[in-house]
Formats: sequence, structure tokens, C-alpha cells
Amino acid sequence: MATNWAERISAFSRSPTRFLSGTTAEAFLAELLRELRDDRASYSVKVLLLSPLCEHPTLLCPSDSVGEETTLELMSVFAQCPPKFVGFRCHLLLALTSVLICTSCASGRSRASQDFLDLLLQIIQDPSDLHSDGSLRSLCATACDCLRELEACCPGLLSQRIELLGGLRQQETSRLHQPYAALQTLVLRNAVFQLTQEKGAGAEHLKALLGGITSVAWEADQDSGLMNNKDSAVLSSLILGNMGVVPTLQTGPDCKELRSVLSSLLEESYLLTPLCQAALLHRLTEVVAMVPSIPPAIFRAQLLRLLGTSEVCLLHSTLLMKCAYTDSLFSAEDEAFILKRLVVLSQHPRLTAPEKLFYMDCILHFPENRPIDSGDESLPVLLTPQLASALAPTVLNDSATLLSRFNLLSLVHLEEGEEAEEGQGLEYLYEHLTSLLHIVENGGSREIVVTFFRAVFLFLFYFHHVERYSTGLTEQLCKLYLHHTHLAPHLINLADQTQDKLSESNWAVGLLTALQKAITSLTQLSVKDVKWHLKMLARVAEEGEIPQRNTLSFLSKVITPSFSSLCESGDWRQGNNVLGVCRRLLVHPSLDSLLIPLADILQHLARCYRDTDIQDHARLYYTLLTTLSREKLAGVMMQGTTEGGRQVKKRSLSSCMSEGEELTSLLTIHQTEKAIFRLTEAQSEPRQQSKDVDLDQDEAENCPEEANAALEVYRAQFSDPSFASEVTLKYQLAHTNGHDSRFDHLFSIRLHFGHTDNHYEKLPDISVSCLFRERPSPVVQLRLKPRQPYPTTLHATAIFTTQDGLSWHTAVPDIHIAFEQTFMPLPSPRTWGQDGKLSAFEGLWEEMCTEKGESAISLFCCQLEEAALNALVRKHFLSYLVSDPSQKEELKVLFFLPPQCHILLKIRSKEDAVHFNIATDNWQLLPHIGSYLLTITAAQEDPPS
Amino acid sequence: MTIRALWIISQEKGDNVSIRFSRRFSTVEHRAKILAGSSYVAVPEESTILQLLLTELGLSDPDKAYVAVRDDCLHRPRSPALELRVDGPEKGILWPMLVISQGPLILACLPLVDVPPEPRPPLASLLSVSQGLTLLAGLQIFLLGSGSKPDGEGLVSRLAMLPSVLLQVCPLGTPLDVPLLGPPATPTVPTVTGNQKQPAWKTGLHRGRAVVNVALTETVRSMQYGSRSRQDLWDVFGTVSCKCEVEGVLPNVMVTLSLPPNGSPLQDILVHPCVTSLDSSILTASSVDNCDSSAFSGPYKFPFSPPLEPFRLCSYTSQVPVPPILGSYQLREEENQLHVSVTLKLHESVKNSFEYCEARLPFFNRDQMSVVDVKVSYGQLDTSKEKNLLVWALGQKFPKSHEVTMEGKISFSGPTNGPSDPLCTGLTAYIKLYFKVPDMTLSGCSVDQHSVQVYSSAKPRIVTSRELISKDYFIWNSTGAAPVSSGPMMV
Repeated sequence: MATNWAERISAFSRSPTRFLSGTTAEAFLAELLRELRDDRASYSVKVLLLSPLCEHPTLLCPSDSVGEETTLELMSVFAQCPPKFVGFRCHLLLALTSVLICTSCASGRSRASQDFLDLLLQIIQDPSDLHSDGSLRSLCATACDCLRELEACCPGLLSQRIELLGGLRQQETSRLHQPYAALQTLVLRNAVFQLTQEKGAGAEHLKALLGGITSVAWEADQDSGLMNNKDSAVLSSLILGNMGVVPTLQTGPDCKELRSVLSSLLEESYLLTPLCQAALLHRLTEVVAMVPSIPPAIFRAQLLRLLGTSEVCLLHSTLLMKCAYTDSLFSAEDEAFILKRLVVLSQHPRLTAPEKLFYMDCILHFPENRPIDSGDESLPVLLTPQLASALAPTVLNDSATLLSRFNLLSLVHLEEGEEAEEGQGLEYLYEHLTSLLHIVENGGSREIVVTFFRAVFLFLFYFHHVERYSTGLTEQLCKLYLHHTHLAPHLINLADQTQDKLSESNWAVGLLTALQKAITSLTQLSVKDVKWHLKMLARVAEEGEIPQRNTLSFLSKVITPSFSSLCESGDWRQGNNVLGVCRRLLVHPSLDSLLIPLADILQHLARCYRDTDIQDHARLYYTLLTTLSREKLAGVMMQGTTEGGRQVKKRSLSSCMSEGEELTSLLTIHQTEKAIFRLTEAQSEPRQQSKDVDLDQDEAENCPEEANAALEVYRAQFSDPSFASEVTLKYQLAHTNGHDSRFDHLFSIRLHFGHTDNHYEKLPDISVSCLFRERPSPVVQLRLKPRQPYPTTLHATAIFTTQDGLSWHTAVPDIHIAFEQTFMPLPSPRTWGQDGKLSAFEGLWEEMCTEKGESAISLFCCQLEEAALNALVRKHFLSYLVSDPSQKEELKVLFFLPPQCHILLKIRSKEDAVHFNIATDNWQLLPHIGSYLLTITAAQEDPPS
Repeated sequence: MTIRALWIISQEKGDNVSIRFSRRFSTVEHRAKILAGSSYVAVPEESTILQLLLTELGLSDPDKAYVAVRDDCLHRPRSPALELRVDGPEKGILWPMLVISQGPLILACLPLVDVPPEPRPPLASLLSVSQGLTLLAGLQIFLLGSGSKPDGEGLVSRLAMLPSVLLQVCPLGTPLDVPLLGPPATPTVPTVTGNQKQPAWKTGLHRGRAVVNVALTETVRSMQYGSRSRQDLWDVFGTVSCKCEVEGVLPNVMVTLSLPPNGSPLQDILVHPCVTSLDSSILTASSVDNCDSSAFSGPYKFPFSPPLEPFRLCSYTSQVPVPPILGSYQLREEENQLHVSVTLKLHESVKNSFEYCEARLPFFNRDQMSVVDVKVSYGQLDTSKEKNLLVWALGQKFPKSHEVTMEGKISFSGPTNGPSDPLCTGLTAYIKLYFKVPDMTLSGCSVDQHSVQVYSSAKPRIVTSRELISKDYFIWNSTGAAPVSSGPMMV
């Protein structure tokens, strides 16, 4: 059993949606709660059971009311759990906190959340705990954490308890003072924030708050809570540098109480773990920023200790302090010192790589006392090239460090470069690129290759205007390419991106020209290289300004048998590579001068290439080239590329042969942006299992009278597994409201369905010949085969063709199958009449009342006038009625649900209410029956006006 | 100051990548939704996270040379805070995904962005980022031990402990502490020693004989090119590690580091958070500054109250005038042979008493060595099993002349195999030195046994030690191109 749970819980956390598709959230929650209450289950398993509630409370408790009920259940589990299972009790507190916060029971101050709050406060104040052993103390620590989380999510919740919390913290000598301090600080911060939002709040209010005296002035506003205005400001950090404005509380100079609380917290901050210390300092930084009468100098005693620290979060909290207070706490000298410190930390051999990278990021966003601009990444004025030289990249750096350093140094020398282009720093960066290039040349790993190209892009991004280097780089890259042709995709990507991002520079065209020259002047070729050369030349051919004569002579060389065996080999991919170049040449602006050689090449391919497909395409291109005018040719070839251009190439197999060609758009399936049509339930007569079961009055009564015998005959029918296993639902296929005339006439529609759960067998696809907007909607039949007759949702998609011959793929809005849509009348043998059905009903009823196996009985009551009841029966139950409709004192209704479930109802009017006695052979249907009855009776209660 | 979720991923040889542990903090997610408003992006399910992370880390599709989404030159993964581009119905960018990886493990967490999400705030404005990094590093050490050696069974048992560990260190998404390494200290009896508070980072109290152990380790790195155009580089950094077994809730200990009279000041000092106060003069010297000879040069006093476990009291860097061993390495390629000539010279200021000293000469990206006709003036020469590495063991001492040489020819033939290293191709080659010298430091820094003060009733036993070790100590072949930029830059 234990392993079973471990597996199920881990399956749930891997993919909650997939897990819940096999069951329902409601059922899973019920199971979890049952197991948690089970005395036989071990506590280690129970801890496991809590994790879905901690991690996904909203999935299991979709509504506040379920959250509330679950909370009450968990609280009773807590009350009954022996105190020695501390670990479990702690986890239970976490689960409770998660459920209450996420279902917004906590922010709504629900009954259960009040109870839980009282429980937590009681735990943290329990004097018996203080003198017991340490393990119980961890319960108290967890309770503090839960309170802190509640306060964090519902700010102001504990603002009346500041004094209590302060007292607890001060008395505590064990390690528990840490959770108390964390809680107190947060509550203090939220309370002060709350005061800044109150009109007219001042020193008096602050004093009252700290003294635990609830002043009448804002007691009234308590219930409104801070979060009720749905403003996230209170949750946000207040330290935003020059972008943010901190709300302030005007208190006048006298703030003795607050000052003493702050001093006491700061004095003991040393006793906290670095992580808690950093959080505490951050919260106090916010408090002091909000109360201008407290000078930031209150932090001064801590600063040296914090600036010398090896802990990243402590130094970070100091930087945030600098950001908040600028020169009111840090002099210009301090600023220079901190920046130097950051440079040191960014390359300190004792720190880890992620820490160093973080510090480097801090340099780029250094909180200067007098910032000049607030751009994205700007260097602090004090960062001189000399200082930054400590961060020069080296080939021994890991990729991330190398690129970060490269970027930072580029920024530094960008400024320097404007004055002296011959700067040493720039020289260094260029040489560094060269060193990387040598490593790539010597067979560097994939990671180094990618890093190298990223560094090249960065260099060009900043220094493309420095010709000496950008030309040198072109030469080096060409050489590199010739030795390592497989780098073609990287070079093409580099050309694409530099062209895209550096529109003022012509570097990419220069590189491509140089590559063309290098490739076309080769005298020897290997088959492997040809593939890359062709890809490269295809990219070169996209540039209108690059003359293509050389490319053409290269192509004709490549397809000459004496030079390479390309045509002989008949390689389809290589053929497409050649065609790819040709296709781009067809739209090249200098086509006129290329006409004859290009035609020659295409003709040669059409005749000699040993692949029919390539031949066909070559012939097509040849025909287009020789018969169409320039404009038409361009029009034909450009179709399809116009939408996204080069950047969004369709990654389909067909695109590998000829992207952008008109043919492709015919071959490709397009995706519609919105749904084009939907399925709506067709209004139909009550469902029959099949037409021929129409009442055969003559042969009726040919059935056993006795209930058990009737059941036996009835059940024998199910030996055929396909018997009554399907529910057929009728839907109309109709256009949605959006008006797009392209989709007015649709043909060959094929609907494909997908399930959201495992309760039904897979549905076959459905074909509809056509759908015209002006004609009546066609009706389609969904044949659902339930495994479990639960309500469900079906996903649907469709493929269809439009009048212009294009194929489209579209999403169809989800189809919701309600519980009652799976109801069918009893599939009794066709010879039976009413009495036979009644016998079967009685037989089934008797069996179900034993509540063996999956069977269950239940009772549903509601108040209905007789007329309303009659209307209800007529409207909903008529075709399922087994008893004589004229016998009003007890109505018997039987719903059959495939594959083989039954719901039986006995409906009686008592003096106070109508009783629906329910029996079913599948207890898991009970919640669905309940909500179904609730819906239909509620609708009947308020009569239609 | 909180994290939304945490993942621990293991990868074995790139292939078998899986999420071994994950934890979502639903209450933090609840806040994330409120804070981000319309730009909220939910955390996807495990398989999606894994795929996105691997792409961003460049680890997806390891058998493909170029994948556009992974290798685009425009995109620079901003480690340690990556952005994951989530596709599908819940489209958007998850940021900042903190990732650290070591050995077989990748650890990731997603901090809450508690400032307005648009425009993207700087990383430095989120305290949760440094806290997340600290938590991840702590979990990494907890899972792998301080070494990075993958230990299958140990890892499994540690992963199983994570739920209870997280209950202590990060119960609801707010990191409180890093996991303890050893077994949890036995719960201590509440102290009745007045109102002194027990630090939260101290798990218990020591009872028994007081012992203070202070160990000073200096590490030297070097890049020597033997070339006029290129300046040789070396640097030294030191670490003071302590283990203090002292009674009391908050005992005071003071360690003093001192330098010889003409020693250059200790720079870039970082201290452990248990250090109670610092003198500003200690922090002034920095390696990125122009060296000021009049700067404060000790004694460096570190008052602190020790935690129970061993810890790194402080670390520093130092600028020393000469490298401990100066080498020259020359290779000449002739016909099928390689002429090798090496000289290593021990500086006279260095104590000639090694625990070990070894020089390694790799010859990668070549055929195997067939004939090794090489003489050494001192020590012992070995060829590695794979026949692509010479190991020159110098033992405990350099000879009286303080200089050793190697001279000879190597020829290569036979099947190519063994490691390929782009930093060691053709004449681009290096010697790497491995050595350790007990009881000395290059900076001259020392901890005198008598300078360690413990303010407690019992007289403690005090043990101090120091040593020098090498790391990344390269001597490049001066006839080839070292793959390092020239220029006035640092190591």
C-alpha cells in the first residue's frame, strides 16, 4: 500500500493534469483525506499524502467552500494526531496554510481560517512548549513560518499583534528567536505600510501600533484589509531605486518606540542565519525608507561587517540599502569602495561561478548615488577601463562567464573607443576572439563553437564600425569556414542576425561576398562540403547587391560530371540544395544577366539529374524562367515568402525542397487563427437506444414476472460486449460568428476528437462533405462509448479545404458532455412491456440496497409543489419512467448509463418535502447525481416568468 | 524574497536526464499571480520545464551540431538567471530561472519577482535572487558533499531526505538556512545561562575540552609563456579554515593573521558571517587598485563567535613578486619527431621540501607516443597508460642547484585515441605543475599559535598549520601560440 501511494503521489506531482484525467479532483481529495484519517496508515506515508495539498491546493480545492471543508478536515486530523509525530504535524500546518491562502479563505477571513490563526497563535505562545525538548520547538518554528506566510499573503492580518510578537522574540533564548524576528519584521513592515496609506495617520498611530493599543481611528478599517483593493503594491518590494517612489509616514522627529524596536532587531541580527539576516535587513530598509524621521544611519554599525562578508545575500542586501538611501547613508568614497568591492567579488577565486556572474550583473545595474540615466545596462561612471581590466575574459573561463565578461569589457571600451580607436582594450578583445577562433579551428567542442559565435556577434554589435577589426574578422571567418564547412549554419545565423540587428552596417553583405568568393574559387570539392557550400551560396543569393555570376559558374561546375558526381548520385537532398540556390537566383535583381547560364543549369538538371523529383522541379523552374515575364516570375516565386520573410521559415519536410514556392502553400496545411465552426447540441427528442424498440404492444408481457428471473434475462443481453455500450449524441456543425468570407464554403471537413480524461473510448474521426454558411447546418452524430459515464470535455480539431484549394487545420471549441447526456432508458429485451421493466427495477433496487461492492443508496430532498414536481417529471424523467405515470404516490425512474451502470430513483411526496430515494450500482456516480438533481430541482423551484 | 518552485535534475552522460525532485510553493505562486497581473506565466509541468531548461543550457539534442533555438548567436543565456520561453496556451517568459550545475546535478529554482515586472527589472533589485543562489549552493553541497564526485547511493538517500530538510530550511518558499551537512546535532537542553541568546546558525552547544584548529592554505596559479611579448602571470589566494570546539552559547575567539615586515598587504579579504566586527583598514587593500605600499599590512584581527561545524573564517588574495617555480618549455617539430626541452627552476625563497611535486606534459590530438627518448636531470619519468602524457615526478625536493631539466625526442605513431583537447594541439602545448609545500605560504602570512585568543574559562588546545598548493599552474610551449590573448590583463 505504501509503495502504491508513493508512486501515485509522484505521478501526481509529475503531471497533475494527466493524473487527474484518470480520476477526478474530488475523488482524489476524498481519498487523500480518508487515508489521512486512517489510523492504520503510517505517518511517513501521511506526510507524503500532504504534498499534493501543499503544492497544488487549487487543483484539489477548486472552490472556497471545498477549501473551507478541507481545512476543517485537516484541523481535526491535527487535533487527533499524537504530539510525538512532530514532522507530520509540521507538514500538516504547511498544508493548511497552503489551502487557506490559495483558496482565498484566508484573505476572506473565513471561519476556518480564523480557527487556524487561533491555533497557530496558541502554538507559538504555548508556555509548556518553551521548556519541552527541542523537537517540539520545531512545531513552534513552523507555526511562525505559517503565520509569516499568512501575513505575507494577507498583509495586515497580524498588525494588532506586533507587541505580542516583539515580546516573544525578546524573551526567547533558544534558536526560536529567529522565526519570531522574521515574523515580527514582516508584520511591522506591513503595518507601517498600512499607516502610510491612511489619511492623517502619524506618530500617534505608530506609537499605538507598537504598543499594542488599538486606536479607534483605524480599527474601523481593519476588516477592509489591505488586499481588498486588489492592489499588489503592498506585496511589492519598495526598494526600486530611482524608478520607484516610497510611500512615507510623517511622524515628526519623535519616533522613540519604533527606533528602539529597530535597534533591538538590528543588534541581534548577527544571531540570524545569513539568509534570514538578509531578509530582515531588507524589510527594515523598507521600514526606515517609509518613516523619514528615522535616519538611515541606524544601519551604520552593521555596514563594515556586511561589506566584508563572503555571503552573497548579505552583500546584496547592503546594495539594496544603497539603492534605497543613496548618499544619505553612503558617501562618494563609500560608493567607490563598494564598486571596487564588486569588481573584486566578480572574479574572486573563492566564490562560485554563479555568484561571480551575479556580481557582474550588479556592476551593470550599480545603484549610483547620482545616476546619469536609467538605461537597461549602463556602466557606473566610476568603472574605469583600468578597474574593469580585472574582468577581462580568458579562454579558461566557462562560456557564461566568458560572454558576460566580454560584454562588460565591450561596454567599457565602447566609451573609450570613441576617443581612441587604437585602444588597448579593444585590441585585447579582438585578440581574445582570435584565440577563441584558434580553439574552434583546433576542433573545439560544440559549446565553444556556440560561445565563439556569440562573442563575435557581441563584438560586431559594439564595434562593427571599427573597420580594421571588422574586415579582419571577415577574413578570419572565411578561412575558418573553408576548414570547417560544417560551421555554415552558424555563419548563416551570424549573417542573418548582424544584418537584422545592425541595420546601419553592411558587414553581413561583406562577409557573404567574401564567402562566395572563397567558395567559388575552390578547385577541389568533397561531397560533404558541397552540401554546406550550396547552403551558403543559397544565403548569398538572397542578397540583391551581391553579383551572382560566380555562384552560377560554381553551380555549373558542380553539376559537371568531370568535376563531381553529384548528378550521377541522384541524391535528393543535394539536388534540393542546388535547386534552392536556383530558386533564389530566379528572383535575384540581376536575373537578366544570369538568364542564359541559369537556364543551362536548370536544363542540365532536368535532363541529367538522377532523381525524378529534382528533374521535375528543374523543368518547372526552367519553364517559369523561360516563359514568364520578370514581374510574373517574381510574383510567383515570392508568394508565400511575403508573410514572414526569411526569419520564419516553416519547418516542414516539404519546405526542405523549396520553401516559398507556390506549390508549397498548396501542399502545406495552414493553421487558422480562430475557430471557424463549432459543434452545438442539436435539440432532439428524448433519446432511444434504437428505433426498433418502439413499443411492440402486441408481443408485450412476454417476460418473467419474478424480479430475479427478469434480471437474469436482462443481464444475459450483455454477453454481447457491444450491447448498449454507446451513447449517440447529435450535434450541429455551424459557423462561428466571425466573418471571414474565405471560409464561407468549406469542403471535405474531417473532425478529429481528443479526450481530456480516460473515461471514454477513443472517438473515430467524422467526415462531413461540406459546410456552407447560408445553408442549414449539417448534423453529426457522436458515438460515445463510456468506460465510466462521467461528465467530460472533448477537444476537437478539424481539417478542411476552402474553395481556393488550400487545406486548413483549425481548432474547434471544446465540447462539454453533461452527466445527463449519458442517460438512456433501460435497454430491456424488445419483447418486454412495462411490467418487465418494473420487475427489473425491483430486482436491481433490492440488490443495490444491500450496498455490496460498488452499490450505494442515498437520499435527496427538496421542496416542490405538486405541479412543479409533475412538470419536472414531464420534462426530465418521462422517457425513463418505469412505473405507471398515473400512480402519483411513488414514481420509479431508471437511468441506464453505458457501459453497465444504473441509477434508480423512487420519488415520493412527503408532507414536508419531496424525497428522491437514490440507488446505484456505482457509488462514484453519487456526487454527479446529487449535482444533477440539484440543478433540475432548482430550476423548477423558480417558475419561469 | 521567496521562490516559487525548486527542481533537482540529474544527468548521466548527457543521455539520461530526469527530474529527481521538485517542489512547488503554492502560496508563493498565489502571490506571483497577484504581483505579475496580466504578465503572469504559470510554472509549467515537469516535462516542459526540463525541456526548456536543457535547451537554454545548450544541452538539448546533444547529437545535433546546430539547432536554431539553442545556438542562435543573438541569444546569450544570462546565467545564472535564465529565461525560459514557454510556448502553448500559457505563453510567456519565465524569468529569472536560477540554475547551478555541478557534476551530475542541475539545480534550479524560480524566485518570485516582487517588483513591477514591466519593464524587466534588474536582477540586482531582487533579493530573492541571491537568496535562491545561496539555497541552491547549499542544497548542492548537501547532495554531493563538498567534492563533486557522483555517488549514486549517497545521492539517492540524500534526495530521500529532502522533504524533511526543506521543512527546516525552506518550508514555504522562503529560504531560511542552508541544509546541515552532518547528522542533525542532538537537541540541546535549553540553557540556563542567563539571557544570552543562542545564534540561529548554531545547532547545539559543545561540551568538553576546548580545541581550536586554524589551518591556512594558500593556492598559487600561474600562466608562463616564456615569451617577450607576453607577460607571465601568477596569483596567490589564501583561505583560513577553522574548527572550534569551545564551550558556551556565544564564546568569543580571536584569530590574528600576521605578515613578515616587508610583506605585501593581504587583499580582497572576505569574511565568514560569524565574524562580529571588522576594522575598516582590513578591507581597504584590493587587487584591482593601484598597489599602495603604505597600505595597512597587519596584523589582521578577526574576532568571531564560532559555529559548531568547520568553517572558512576568511579568504584573501596576495601579490607576490615571483612565482615559486619558473619554467621554460620548448618544442620543435622535426620530421616525425618532437624535440622537447624543459627547465624548471625553484625560487630560492621557497622552502625546498615538498609533499609532492609533479609535472605533466600532455600530447593530445596526436598519435600515441611510440619512442620516448627523453632524459631528465632529476626525478623520475613515466608514460601514461594511454601513451599521450608524460609524467615527471620530482618527489620531495629539488636538487641543490634548485634547477631541473628535461631534454629529448619523442616520436609518434600508432592509433590515435585518448583525449582531444583544443587547448593542446600541435605546438600549442603546455606543462601543468602539481605541487604542495607543507608549512609555508608565499605571501608569508601566518597564524601564530599564541595569537589565537579564546575568551572562556577553560584553557583551550590550539593547533595551527599552513601549506601551499598549486592549481592551474601552466607553462606554455614558447615556440607555439598559447591560446590566450596577449595584453596587460590578469589571469
